[in-house]
Amino acid sequence: MPEVAEIQRALAPTWCPGCGNFNMQKALSEVLAESGMGFEEYAMVWGIGCHGNGADFYRSQGFHGLHGRALPLATGIALTNPDLKVIVEMGDGDGYGIGGNHFLHSVRRNIDMVAIFHNNQIYGLTTGQASPTSDQFMKTPSTPGGVVEEPVNPVGVAVAQGATFVARAFAGDVEHLKDLYRQALAHKGFAVVDVYQPCVTWNKINTFKWFRDRVYKLEELEGYDPTDRTAAFKLSMSTFHELTCAPDECKIPIGVFYREEDSFTYQDGLPQLDRPMWKRAVEPRDIGTILEKYE
Amino acid sequence: MPAPAKGSELRVKIGGEAGFGIKAAGQTLARSFVASGLEIFDLTEYPSLIRGGHNTYTLRVSPSAISSHVEAVDVLVALNRETIDLHLEELVDGGAIIYDPDDKENADWQAPERLLAVPVPLLSLAKDAGGPIMRNTVALGAVLALVGFPVDPLADGLRAQFAHKAPEIAEQNVAAATAGHEHAVEAAATFGITLEPVPDAPRRLLVDGNEAIGLGALAAGIGFYAAYPMTPASSLLHFMAAHERDAGVVVKHTEDEIAAMNMVVGAAFTGARAMCASAGGGFALMVEAFGMAGVSESAVVVGVFTRPGPATGLPTWTEQSDLRYVLHAAQGEFPRVVLAPGDRVDAFNLTWQAFNLADQLQTPVVILGDSYLSDNRQSVPYFDLDAVVVDRGKLVAEGDIAKHPDALGQSGEYLRYKLADYGVSVRALPGVKGATQLCNSYEHDEYGHGSAGEPAATRVAQNEKRMRKLELARNLVPRPAVFGAEAAEADVAVLFFGTTKGPVLEAIRWLEPDGVTVAAMQVVTLWPFPADDVAVFLGAAKRSIIIEGNYTGQLQGLVREQCLRDVDETLHRYDGRPFSPEQVYAKLKEVAGNA
Repeated sequence: MPEVAEIQRALAPTWCPGCGNFNMQKALSEVLAESGMGFEEYAMVWGIGCHGNGADFYRSQGFHGLHGRALPLATGIALTNPDLKVIVEMGDGDGYGIGGNHFLHSVRRNIDMVAIFHNNQIYGLTTGQASPTSDQFMKTPSTPGGVVEEPVNPVGVAVAQGATFVARAFAGDVEHLKDLYRQALAHKGFAVVDVYQPCVTWNKINTFKWFRDRVYKLEELEGYDPTDRTAAFKLSMSTFHELTCAPDECKIPIGVFYREEDSFTYQDGLPQLDRPMWKRAVEPRDIGTILEKYE
Repeated sequence: MPAPAKGSELRVKIGGEAGFGIKAAGQTLARSFVASGLEIFDLTEYPSLIRGGHNTYTLRVSPSAISSHVEAVDVLVALNRETIDLHLEELVDGGAIIYDPDDKENADWQAPERLLAVPVPLLSLAKDAGGPIMRNTVALGAVLALVGFPVDPLADGLRAQFAHKAPEIAEQNVAAATAGHEHAVEAAATFGITLEPVPDAPRRLLVDGNEAIGLGALAAGIGFYAAYPMTPASSLLHFMAAHERDAGVVVKHTEDEIAAMNMVVGAAFTGARAMCASAGGGFALMVEAFGMAGVSESAVVVGVFTRPGPATGLPTWTEQSDLRYVLHAAQGEFPRVVLAPGDRVDAFNLTWQAFNLADQLQTPVVILGDSYLSDNRQSVPYFDLDAVVVDRGKLVAEGDIAKHPDALGQSGEYLRYKLADYGVSVRALPGVKGATQLCNSYEHDEYGHGSAGEPAATRVAQNEKRMRKLELARNLVPRPAVFGAEAAEADVAVLFFGTTKGPVLEAIRWLEPDGVTVAAMQVVTLWPFPADDVAVFLGAAKRSIIIEGNYTGQLQGLVREQCLRDVDETLHRYDGRPFSPEQVYAKLKEVAGNA
């Protein structure tokens, strides 16, 4: 059973000092260590972006894929080896922009895997352009007049598309983040965890302090029922906040928006996935019976 | 006429509107002929729509071996007037036309003297048998009667075709075929083509190219297939999906081709034998992940089945214009193998071999086909299942990596991209104890770390490691196939790739009685290009020609670039139709005459 130090026994992180990715790595490696899973039992997949450089900073079997394509890459892994827990890490531009189509379809497939989104509302690795989750009117090098579009509402999209586990977290609260990771790992089905992870270099608006002044925990919200899909969707609309809103004007909920237990996963629909699929190619398949149909 | 004279074989063309069930009817007829020991080759031509456009199904039947369709038609079945107007000229002298004299559209039409008119009240006989939809079945019965063939094999075929429907449906169709048969018996006396069942014919298969590729993939142990529908690859998705449960394959119809290719790379990561396929348009979306398969050293098989492009192009027609595209697809440089089957036997064999090559080389392998291969059926010898082998290359699928010291670095850690002879490292699958392998779309070091791939020396070492696989590939891939005479002895030497094989083989046979000898070379592996074999072949030739289905001469360009030589003549086609043996025959005869 690997210790935290072993999970992190790779190259030293090159993230900017203070980057939200540090806390995300700390939280995930601690949760992985306490899960008791061996290195052989899970695989990680990364997209491209600052988060993706994490591929070098974890010790994990896995695949550092293409920009925007982590989900289908991970899907190919999950649908050919039922023994692996698959954990996918993506950025906001990566997962909600260029990979948005895969997000939509991965959610509705309810593939049994964990999808973590490093959401810093900016393109970090390409030096600070607007991302799909940048607030409206935010000025960036690619939007000097301000972003015109509404931001993507990942929680709302996931809930609307039938996600069975949707959580939002804040990288400034490691213990809370760990709790959400634990729940996501334990969930059977597609688990979405959108993590606000401030970019200390390029996003001077949505900072750690900005979030600390605004986040509140859903488990402390009286009467909130995370099994009520309509309530979850309604609450997701609070994603949209004014760029300059005062802390008491835009409160941002973090925690589990929605969960559905015992859902039918994509893997449940694949009786042929009863073993790692490499075992189907140990020797030639006997196709004699199938060939007879073509005589 | 260069084609076999009327009488030695049968060429039937059935024409009508899309939605008339022409292809299904024709294929039932084809099955009955094959069941009776005859050889067939069919050709379906149709526009990209579901109802209303003009469709034809052409069936060539012969007691001896055939390799392609032909232009000549002996019997034209006109289910509507448009068929008469469009295809009458294709009929050979003495050919027969089956048409419905009661059809008002035919009222002003009279068969020319050179043809045998066979009026059959298709619609009323169909109605009597149970419904107007069975007009095509009535016509099939009439075709059989014309050539003195019994109706029983067709009746058996119809019963098989409609086995999943209510029993009366099959019997109504048998009644329709029988009625058509009885109606045309009289005309047979003056027609002059007689087909007879061939007793004790060896076991054969009737498959189209996509079925042959699918069967090859199944035999190879495929575990994952992903695709987005696109003509002409869609039927391979249907084939794989139909066998997902009985054969044990995970088949995914994805949101787009980008997802398909990325999923296939993910599936290869866990050691599944994985494949995707599309036409050139779908492959365009796969290209970035195709390159990722190269740099991440993933063992994947990709089918690219050409239809005329660019963009949406001519969806249901054929071409050979994607050769350069698949050779160069994706940014950067990495080793790839490109195989081009010429017929359905090639398609089966090259597909299972493609999976072995992908594993041995840990790099993407392309099966380059086209609509002419995918869509059309051919009777072929039973596939040689005993020849199929599974070679997974340097793979550790389970156990402890400590037992494989050659896979470890000096620190004892598993290195996914360890520098190795011929560039192929030991691939340990997820789940192997002690092997936490990291695959990467970034350039990387031996471990797989992306940020450690940036030093110049590391980049060079990893790049050269990958490219060395091409040298290994040269010893593993199928060499060119040669047909006919020796190049030095022949009047003309023809070089081609892919499905031009069928028309070329036909033309070689037809030229024999004319005293023209032909040497032919099929470039089976397009990459790595067999420059030595091709150079020797062309070097020995008296007159040489390249025949390829594109405008720019893509194979010719490769020959110039790789062999530093050229050919004397070329023949191109890019109208969406496959080469016909008539066309190839005429051209080869002309080239030989110029020798």
